[in-house]
Amino acid sequence: MSGTTPTEQSSGSALTRLFGWIDGSLLSLCLASLVVVVAGGLVQVSFGAFSMTIGEAWRAVFDPAVIFDPHVWQVFLLGGELPELGRQTLIVWNIRLPRVFVAILVGANLAISGAIFQAVTRNELASPFILGVSSGAGLLILLTLVVFSGLAAYLPLLAALGGMFAFVLVYLIAWKNGTSPVRLVLAGVIVGTVFQSLQTGLFFFVDDIGVVQSAIAWTTGSLTGTDWEQVRMALPWSIIAVALALGSSRQLNVLLLGEQTARSLGMSIEKVRFALSGVAVLAAAASIAVAGIVGFVGLVVPHLVRNVVGSDYKRLVVGCLFAGPALMVAADVGARLALNPIQLPVGVVTGLVGGPYFLYLMRKQQNIGEV
Amino acid sequence: MSNQQSENPQQMAQHGDTDANAGGNASVEGDSDRQSALTGDALELSYPTSEGPVVECDRIDIPRGEITALVGPNGSGKSTLLKSLAKQLSPDSGSVYLDGKSISEYDDKAFARELGMLSQQHDSPTSLTVEDLVYHGRYPHRSFFEQVNEDDHEAVERAIDLAGVDHIRDKQIGNLSGGQSQLAWIAMVLAQDTDVLLLDEPTTYLDLHHQLRVLETVRQLNEERGVTVAVVLHDIAQAARFADYLVAMQDGELYDWGPPREVVTEELLADVFRVEAAVNYSPDPEIVPKHSL
Repeated sequence: MSGTTPTEQSSGSALTRLFGWIDGSLLSLCLASLVVVVAGGLVQVSFGAFSMTIGEAWRAVFDPAVIFDPHVWQVFLLGGELPELGRQTLIVWNIRLPRVFVAILVGANLAISGAIFQAVTRNELASPFILGVSSGAGLLILLTLVVFSGLAAYLPLLAALGGMFAFVLVYLIAWKNGTSPVRLVLAGVIVGTVFQSLQTGLFFFVDDIGVVQSAIAWTTGSLTGTDWEQVRMALPWSIIAVALALGSSRQLNVLLLGEQTARSLGMSIEKVRFALSGVAVLAAAASIAVAGIVGFVGLVVPHLVRNVVGSDYKRLVVGCLFAGPALMVAADVGARLALNPIQLPVGVVTGLVGGPYFLYLMRKQQNIGEV
Repeated sequence: MSNQQSENPQQMAQHGDTDANAGGNASVEGDSDRQSALTGDALELSYPTSEGPVVECDRIDIPRGEITALVGPNGSGKSTLLKSLAKQLSPDSGSVYLDGKSISEYDDKAFARELGMLSQQHDSPTSLTVEDLVYHGRYPHRSFFEQVNEDDHEAVERAIDLAGVDHIRDKQIGNLSGGQSQLAWIAMVLAQDTDVLLLDEPTTYLDLHHQLRVLETVRQLNEERGVTVAVVLHDIAQAARFADYLVAMQDGELYDWGPPREVVTEELLADVFRVEAAVNYSPDPEIVPKHSL
C-alpha cells in the first residue's frame, strides 16, 4: 500500500471496505454448504416410494416445461391450478423438491435467528428458543390439538403466534428500567419452565394416539408432508428476516463490544436489542409455522460458522444463510430415508447430529463460550 | 485551543479574567458555564445495589480545552462520577450539562458525536482486527444502513495515526498485548471525533512505555485539536505531571480542585490518600511517598 498514491489508496480501500469482508474461508464455507444442499436435494428427489433413477430425477428437475414456464412458477409461489405435467416431473416438482425448499428456508431462518440471539444475549449457548419462543409455540400447538381442535387448520399460524407471545411475555418479565442479557435469559427460563409444564400436562388429556404423534411431530420439528403451501407461507417472512439480519450486521458487531461501549458509541441499546430480538423471533416463528420446533440447528450452525469465518456478523450471517440449509437438508435426508418407509421427525435427526458435533467442538476448543 | 478561543472572543475575555485571578477554586465557581465544556450540578449518584448515594457533588466543572484529571483513592467515586458525566449512569438528582445543554436532552447518537467515553473494562471478540475496531468508532456518525464514506475513512486514518497503531492495524485484538490493545481502543474513541473525551483509568495495568504512549496521545489530541479531556488516573504523581487541572475526590465528594501545584499538597496526600509524603515544587509538584498512614 505504501507505494500507491493517496487517491489510489483511498479508492482501493473503499473497494476493500465494500467487498473485502468476503474472504476465502467464507467462500469455501458457502461452496461446501451449496454442495451439501445440492447433493442432499438430489438424493431427496431421487429416492422415495416412487423410485426413479438419478438420471430420471435430474431430467425431471431440469424439465423445461417447469423451469421456463412463468405460469407454473406463479402457481408454485402464489397458488392455483397446475397445468398438465409429466408424472415424474410432477412428483419431483410438486412433492419432493418443495420439501427441500422448506428445509432450506427453515435452516436459514433458524441459523440466523440463533446467530442474532447469541449476540443479543452475548452468550454462545443461546438458541432461537432461548427467550421462550419454543415453549410458547409448543403450548399453543398442544392447546390447539387437544382443546381447540376446531382451529387445527390454523395450527401453523397459532404456533408462530404462541412463540411471539411468549417472547413478549419474557421481555415484560425481564424489564425493570431496562433489560440485561442475564435478566432476559432468566425470564426465558421462567416462562419456558411454566409453559413446558402446561404443555406436558396437556398430553394427559389426549386419548388418540394420532393426536399424540401429531403433537410430537410439531414439537420436535418435522418436514413430513410439506409442499409449496409451506414455501409460500415461510418465504416472504424469511426474505424480510434475512434482509433485516444482513442490514443489522453492524449493530450486532457493536453489541459484541459490550453494553458500555455500545452505549458510549451512541447506540440506543434497549431499542436495538428489542428490534434485533424481534427479527430473530420473526425468523424463528416463520420456521416454526412450517416445520414445528426444530432443535439444535439454531444453536450449532452459528457456532460452526463462527469457527470458520470468525465473529464478524456480516460474514457470520451470510455463512449461516448457507450452512443452516446445508445441515437442515442433510438432516432431512436422514429423517425421510433412514428408516424408509417410516419417516422420522427431522428434529430427532438434527439433535442426533448436532449433539455430537457440539461435543466435538467442546473437546477441541479451549475457549468455547466466547462470542 | 486557540481555535476555540478565536471563535468566541467573549469567552476568551472571561477566561483571561479568571486566569488573572490565579485562584484555582475561583475559576470553577460562579457563573462559568461558558468556559466549562461539561458541568455537573447538584449530582447525587447511586447504583441499584448500593445503599444511599455513592457520590454527592454540588458542582463539578470540566474546563474547556484543558486536561482534567480525577484523582482519589479506590472507591472514592471517580469512575461513578465519570459515568454520570458520560450519560452512562443517570443521577438520582441533579443534572449534567454539556455546552450548557442538559445531557438528557441529547439524542443518544448526537451525544456520542459530542462526547466520547472509554470505560475501564472493555471486551471485544478476539478475532476482531484493530482496523475494524477503530471503524466502530464511527458508529454515531452513520445512520442505520449507511455505508462507510470518505469522512469515516479519514477520521479512522487520523485516529490510527494519532494512536500509533498503524503497524498493528490488521492484527486481531486477541493477539495483542495489554498496552497495544489499549492503544487500539484509544484509536476507536478518537475515531469518534468528539470535542470532549472521557477516559476511565486508561493507563492502569499498562507498562511504563505504554502508559506514556497513551498519555502523549491524549496530550497531542488536546493540543492539536483543542479536545477537552477528563481522565481518571490512579497515580497522583502521574496526574500532577500530566494534567492542567486536578479534581481530588474523597468518599464520594470533591475534596479539592485546581491546577496541580495548588491541589497537590502534603496535606492532601495525608487526608485523601492516607500516605505521608514530601512534595517538592520545581515548579511542578513532585511527590516522594514515605509511608502509609
